[in-house]
Amino acid sequence: MFAVLKKEMKTYFSSLTGYIFMGFFLILSGIFVSLYNLYTGSPDYNKVLSSINFIFLFLVPVLTMRLMSEEQKQKTDQLLLTSPLSIWDIVLGKYFAAVGVFALTLLITCIYPIILSFFGKLAVAKIIGGYIGFFLLGCAFISIGLFVSSKTDNQVISAVVTFGVLLFIWLLDAIQQGLPTGTVSGIIFAGAIVAIITLFVHSATKNRTVSITTAIIGGAIIAIVYFVNQSVYDAFIINFFGWFSLLQRYEGFAMGVLSLSPIIYYITFSFAFLFLTVRGIDKRRWI
Amino acid sequence: MIQVENLTKKYGDHVAVNNASFVVEKGEILGFLGPNGAGKSTVMNIITGYISATEGSVKVDGYDILDDPEEVKSRIGYLPELPPLYGDMTVLEYLDFVSEIKGMDKEDRTEDIERAMNLIRIDNVKERLIRNLSKGYRQRVGLAQAILGNPKVLVLDEPTVGLDPKQIIEIRNLIKDLGQDHTVILSSHILPEVSAVCDRVIIIDKGKIVASDTPENLSRRIGDSSKLMLRVAGPEKRVLKLLGDISGVRQVNSQGSREPDTVDVVVEADKDIDIRKPIFNRLSEAGYPLMMMKPIDLTLEDIFLHVTTEEGEVS
Repeated sequence: MFAVLKKEMKTYFSSLTGYIFMGFFLILSGIFVSLYNLYTGSPDYNKVLSSINFIFLFLVPVLTMRLMSEEQKQKTDQLLLTSPLSIWDIVLGKYFAAVGVFALTLLITCIYPIILSFFGKLAVAKIIGGYIGFFLLGCAFISIGLFVSSKTDNQVISAVVTFGVLLFIWLLDAIQQGLPTGTVSGIIFAGAIVAIITLFVHSATKNRTVSITTAIIGGAIIAIVYFVNQSVYDAFIINFFGWFSLLQRYEGFAMGVLSLSPIIYYITFSFAFLFLTVRGIDKRRWI
Repeated sequence: MIQVENLTKKYGDHVAVNNASFVVEKGEILGFLGPNGAGKSTVMNIITGYISATEGSVKVDGYDILDDPEEVKSRIGYLPELPPLYGDMTVLEYLDFVSEIKGMDKEDRTEDIERAMNLIRIDNVKERLIRNLSKGYRQRVGLAQAILGNPKVLVLDEPTVGLDPKQIIEIRNLIKDLGQDHTVILSSHILPEVSAVCDRVIIIDKGKIVASDTPENLSRRIGDSSKLMLRVAGPEKRVLKLLGDISGVRQVNSQGSREPDTVDVVVEADKDIDIRKPIFNRLSEAGYPLMMMKPIDLTLEDIFLHVTTEEGEVS
C-alpha cells in the first residue's frame, strides 16, 4: 500500500495537479479569511470553513479524476493487478495519497487562525472541531471521486461525473425542500427502489427465480412496514435523500459540536465507496 | 511448474479461450504461437491473474490462482502486450517502484535493479523519463520490470515486438539464458522466433489448442517435402518438362514470368534428397541459365493451414 501511496504522492507533485489543488484552495480560503475575518475583525473562523464548502465541487475532481482512469488508459493497471498487491492495497494507497494532499493543504491553512490569534482570543476547540468536520467531509467527497474514476478510462468523463455527483449532493438540502411528503408518494417511492434493486439483481444474476424472489421480498417488506408503522412513509422520500446529505452533517461541526454520529457517518460513507471501488475492479476481471 | 486445466474464457457469447489444458515443466521455455486474436494474450492474462477464467483452473508452483492469488503473483514476472509503463517516471524510479510493489526488501532492491538493467542493457537511459524513450527501449524497460525480483516464472507477451533486428537477436539470446533457471512462457506470431527460442510450441487458433510439440517435431509433421523457387531463362514448357523429369521432384508449378524471357517455377521435392545439383546440371546442359534459386521456408500460414486442416480431418 505504501508503495502506491508514495508513487501517487510523487505524481501529484511532479505534475501540476497537486499544485493546482493547493494553489486554488489556498487562494480561495485566503480571500474568504480576508473578507470574513481580517476586514471585519471577526474571530469566527468556522464561518470561513463552512463558506468554502463549494470548493470541493471543483477541486475534488481535480484530485481524483486521474487516480484510476489513467491506469486503465495506459494499461498500467495490468502491472498493479498482476503484482502481489491486493486490490485493497492499490485502492487505499491511492485514496490516502489524495487524502494526504488534502490534509497537507488544510495544514497550511492553519496559518490563518494562528494569524487571527494575534489579534484576539479564538475559540480553539470550536476551530479544531470545524477542521475535523471539514477534513472528514473532504475525505468522503474524495472517496466518491475515486469510485467514479475507477469506472472510466477517460479523465475528462471522470472529472465531469464527479462534479455532477458532488453538485447533486451539495444541492441535496435544497432539493429536499421540494420533495413530496405523504404516505402514498412514500410507498410509490419505496416501490421504485425495490424495482431498481430487482433490475440490478436481474442484470447481475440473469436468473429469473432470484429476481422474482427479490421483488417479492421487497414488496413484502414494504407491506409489513406499512401495517406496522405507517408513519414511516410520510417523510420517507425526504429521509431517504437525507441519508446522502453529507453537508447536513457538517453543520454540527461548524457550530463547534463534536459528536460521534456524524464522524462515524463520514467514515462509513468513505468506506462504502472504497468498498464499491474494490468490488468494481475485482468484478471487471470476471467479465 | 504451471498447470492449466480446461481453461475457458467467454466474453458474452464470444469464446476467447476454449477448454485449453497444458503443463509447463520447470525450466522449460514454452512458445505460444497463433495469429492475432487467437487467445494468446487472454491465456497469459489469466495465468498472471489479471483476468479470471470462466471455467477451469491455473496452478503455479502448486498454488491456485483463485485460492492464493498473492502466492502465484509473487512467483510470476509479466510483460504484457503493451508494456505497463509510467511515462512521468524515470527508468530508475519506475524499476524502484516495481521492485517495491513486488515486496522486495529495501537492501536487495538497488542490487537487483542494477542486475536487471545490466542484463537488458538499459543502463544508459536510467535517468531518462520513460515518456521520452523509443519503442524499443520501452519494450526493454518492460522486460526489465518482469525479471525484477528473479521470479520463478516469466510470462512474456510478444517480447520482441517493436525492436530492431539486432535487439531482437539480443533479446532472444537473453530469453534463452533466462530459460536455464526460469520457466518461461512467451507468445509470438513469428514462427522462426518460436523455433529459435522455445523447447516446446503450443499452436493456438480461435481459442483452441490445435497442436503442442517440439519445434522439430512440428515441422517434421508438417512437411516431408521441401520447396525451391527458381527463375530460369528459357521457354516455359521446356523448362517445366526438364525439371519434372528429375528424380525426387514431386511437383513443378509455373509462377509466370516476372522478367523478360524468363520463367518463375516452384519445385516441390522429397525432403531427404538434395535436388539442387541435378537442377543446376540439367538446366545448364539444356542451355537454360539459372538466374535465381532460393528455398521457400514454411510460413506460419502453411503450418496453420496444415495443422488446422489436419485436426479437422481427424475429427
